[in-house]
Amino acid sequence: MRLYVTQLESLLVILAIVTLLSAAFRPLRQGRGPGFVLAGLVGLMLVYSFALQPLDGTFFHGAYRFDPLALYLKRVFLLGTALVLVMSTEFARRLSGAVAEFYALILLSATGMLLVASVNDFILLFVSLELVTISFYVLTSYLRRQLASLEAGAKYLILGALSSGFTAYGIAWLFGATGTTNFDQMRAVLEAGGDAATAPLVLGMVLVLTGLGFKIASVPAQIWAPDVYQGAPTPVTAFLAVGSKAAGFALLLRVLLAGLLPVSAVWAPLVLVLAAATLLYGNLGALPQRNIKRLLGYSSIGHAGYMLMGIAAVNTLGAAAVMFYLAQYAFTTLCAFLAIIAVTNVTGTDDVAGFAGLHRRAPILAAALFIALLSLAGIPPLSGFFAKFFLFAAVIERAADNWHYYALAGVGAVAVVISLYFYLRVGQAIYLQEPATAEPIPVSPVARVSLYVCMIAIIGIGIFQAPLVGAALRAVSVFGLTD
Amino acid sequence: MEIILTIAVLLPLVAAFGMFAVPASRPQWIRGLAIGATGASLLLTLCVFSQFDRAHGGYQFVSAIRWIPQLGVALKLGVDGISMTLLLLAGLVAFAGTLVSHEIHHRQKEYYILFLALATGIMGTFAALDLFFFYFFYELAVIPMYLLIGIYGSLPAGKHGRTKEYATMKLTLYLTAGAVLALIGLLAMYFAAGRTFDLAAIHEHFRHNPLPAETQRWIFPLLLFGFGFLASLWPFHTWSPLGYAAAPTAASMMHAGVLKKLGAYGIIRIALPLLPEGAKAWAELLAVLAIMNILYAGLAALLQRDWKFVIGYSSVSHMGYVLLGIATLNVIGVSGAVLLMFAHGVMAALTFALIGWFYHQTHNRFVPELGGLIKQIPFIGVCMVMAAMASSGLPGFANFASELMVFIGAWQQGSTLFRVATICAVWGIVVTATYLLWAVRASFFGPLDAKWSALRDAVSFKHRLPFALLIAALLVVGFWPRLLSDVIRNSVATAVLHVQPDAADDAAARPAAPGHRASSPARAD
Repeated sequence: MRLYVTQLESLLVILAIVTLLSAAFRPLRQGRGPGFVLAGLVGLMLVYSFALQPLDGTFFHGAYRFDPLALYLKRVFLLGTALVLVMSTEFARRLSGAVAEFYALILLSATGMLLVASVNDFILLFVSLELVTISFYVLTSYLRRQLASLEAGAKYLILGALSSGFTAYGIAWLFGATGTTNFDQMRAVLEAGGDAATAPLVLGMVLVLTGLGFKIASVPAQIWAPDVYQGAPTPVTAFLAVGSKAAGFALLLRVLLAGLLPVSAVWAPLVLVLAAATLLYGNLGALPQRNIKRLLGYSSIGHAGYMLMGIAAVNTLGAAAVMFYLAQYAFTTLCAFLAIIAVTNVTGTDDVAGFAGLHRRAPILAAALFIALLSLAGIPPLSGFFAKFFLFAAVIERAADNWHYYALAGVGAVAVVISLYFYLRVGQAIYLQEPATAEPIPVSPVARVSLYVCMIAIIGIGIFQAPLVGAALRAVSVFGLTD
Repeated sequence: MEIILTIAVLLPLVAAFGMFAVPASRPQWIRGLAIGATGASLLLTLCVFSQFDRAHGGYQFVSAIRWIPQLGVALKLGVDGISMTLLLLAGLVAFAGTLVSHEIHHRQKEYYILFLALATGIMGTFAALDLFFFYFFYELAVIPMYLLIGIYGSLPAGKHGRTKEYATMKLTLYLTAGAVLALIGLLAMYFAAGRTFDLAAIHEHFRHNPLPAETQRWIFPLLLFGFGFLASLWPFHTWSPLGYAAAPTAASMMHAGVLKKLGAYGIIRIALPLLPEGAKAWAELLAVLAIMNILYAGLAALLQRDWKFVIGYSSVSHMGYVLLGIATLNVIGVSGAVLLMFAHGVMAALTFALIGWFYHQTHNRFVPELGGLIKQIPFIGVCMVMAAMASSGLPGFANFASELMVFIGAWQQGSTLFRVATICAVWGIVVTATYLLWAVRASFFGPLDAKWSALRDAVSFKHRLPFALLIAALLVVGFWPRLLSDVIRNSVATAVLHVQPDAADDAAARPAAPGHRASSPARAD
């Protein structure tokens, strides 16, 4: 049984070790072939995961769950990993050697994310989170001859270490307040104790929130995002946006909606304020950006804000909306980054100006990037539209008895309009401006297929939302929230 | 039978997807497909109209497909007299817009894909009976418009110093801001009605358990101003003249003719029937803003020198009559607003098509630099004179009957504010006549400048067809307003204001009948 519930993680670890060992015998220079093989294998694991059934109860002394939520998140992580591996192969020639280690680190980080999906105990939370984060410390500074990459790595390391400290310290306070690190037991203790929120409990909660806020890049731990997004190798940036952020949200949901649900009256207003601040910071900060990766860094802060709206709502709709958002965000963001890598491989610049007239040079890349950006902006019939609609619905549901949620929805509305402006400015470069040179940009067959998959997913989810909505609602049924 | 409506709405979108398969090297095929799709869509809409039960005020041709059952979303389409009228308008303008797009050669394939997607977005909004899909189609129309203006538009440098990129961005942001504002109101009603997006179910729910008046009073402005952005409600209208001026001909036609009407339609379809108490509380403010629309935009139009800005401000001004009609909250006023939406939509589309015809050749639309054009392009000139007459509310055109209904509705409303508003609105017609007659005289009459002597007129059937269709629609409805006003009135009475249709029938149609025109108050101008 224990093997059954951790088989996906085990497979990933084996894959990572095999990759490392094979490099010892035959170092990879470009690594296109092996990269595609790895991506394919992870893709197969994703397909295989649909054959698995969720199980009731907990494993490893209550630390691990294999419930529908865990399985849903594992699929999102596997999907993201497979696409990031495709991206990495496209990017591999810009890495100076050590390609196999790059893949292995991505796989290890993915292992951590899969563990995160199942966390039911603060100890496992900390360990799996560190597995993710430490892999990223190396990955962000992987272009070791580029100053920007090193700077990104250093920033990520220092702030990451600080946030780990916050998390560990917060866990200690929570343990002190409740006498347990297990989410179920913590919930039972808090329910038994009424809703009296003691000072140690609140302090622990705020510290843990801050520490996890680093992973999702929300206020007040959002400062690193633009710099690291800009400096890190592009596949790593994409993985940060998709995997690391989703891991942070998975933990936030588990901690807040499982462990700390009885004291939601204490944390919900806090999350509400953080959501509003994050929305405004991310979207306003993106306005003056000229570098596309930096722009997406700010926008990813904004998206963290949207998803926090769903958590602040503390209802089934909100949690399901976050799940829906995460899944479609993976497709959308990876679609954007795949196109960006293909373009910057040729143009060599991350400036938005480098995308001028892209529709003439590579129609498929132009369409993919434009669709991805519009989906991020929340335009129908794309998946991002329904994701935002879902979140707004969750917030408005709570607004009937608490007008603060109308204010939050209002901030969200303002953010949507602002974000449309800076996404459309990139769209303007792509479709409205003429290129400096008409030389076509080549797109490799695998990248082309991945882009088509992403675009079909974005449009497909955007029009036929019901299956994913159903899956998201089933996943969050584990919290047993009243609506 | 229900399937006809669904096909009519979705056909342009299907054609847009199909167009991806057509090679860009075959412009004739692309254009043929676009004309075929919009033409078939118009014919199917006419077919629906011919089968329409005119005595019945409720929804007809209703079809529903479960879409997101977990959230109570269904793709439910159907029409009543109000949406039927506007669907006809949309079908007509989309077809005419496709016909006049023959001057587009650059990036032609994308152009028609965007145009067809726009057409479905608009028609879908009119036909949607589910709030989710209403919003979905409504937002669907925004981005094609952004690209149509951004890629194919043109904005001659003027003292405004704006580019088409600025214009299209402004338009998109304004419309999105309005849409998100309205969304908050729509979602509030979704939860209040027990989690259904089905318009009829929400309606039924609120009829038995009305929302508290307090709640209605603050949800209503969300919808009013949210949709008001799109209806160019003063002071949120500034995107409108600029956007039309920058847009390519067919996009201007669609936007001024139809898309803008979505805003007013949203207020009539959703805000008025579901929030009657809210409507009462905000009607007076709406009337004041509508008068600002009529007079402010009318006076602004007087100062314009660019034809498209003249018509752009003129359309903002005309939306004022529509909004005034809505503010009356009586059957004749609201019915007049709906009929005016149709009349003004056709008229605005006609005017923009005519401007497009000569602008394409002259690359100049500054009124003072034109002159005597009627000698060179008599067909276009005559059409323009007729459009100006229609716009000024001359009898015989649909605009006359509908504006009259709005005035009567506003006067009947009875309060001093509405009486004053009616008087102001009637004076608005004088303003309209002033700038339109000036613009027509200055550009079509007088001596012909030699540099315009190479202009070609619309002589062939295929070039004249779109103009002829639009003028025919204006004249048919002008001479026989009951063709539309009857079905509109039935639906307004039963679906919007919940009154007995007979009780509302008192003065409704009679003043609009031909025999009474000469003595009607609108002749004050």
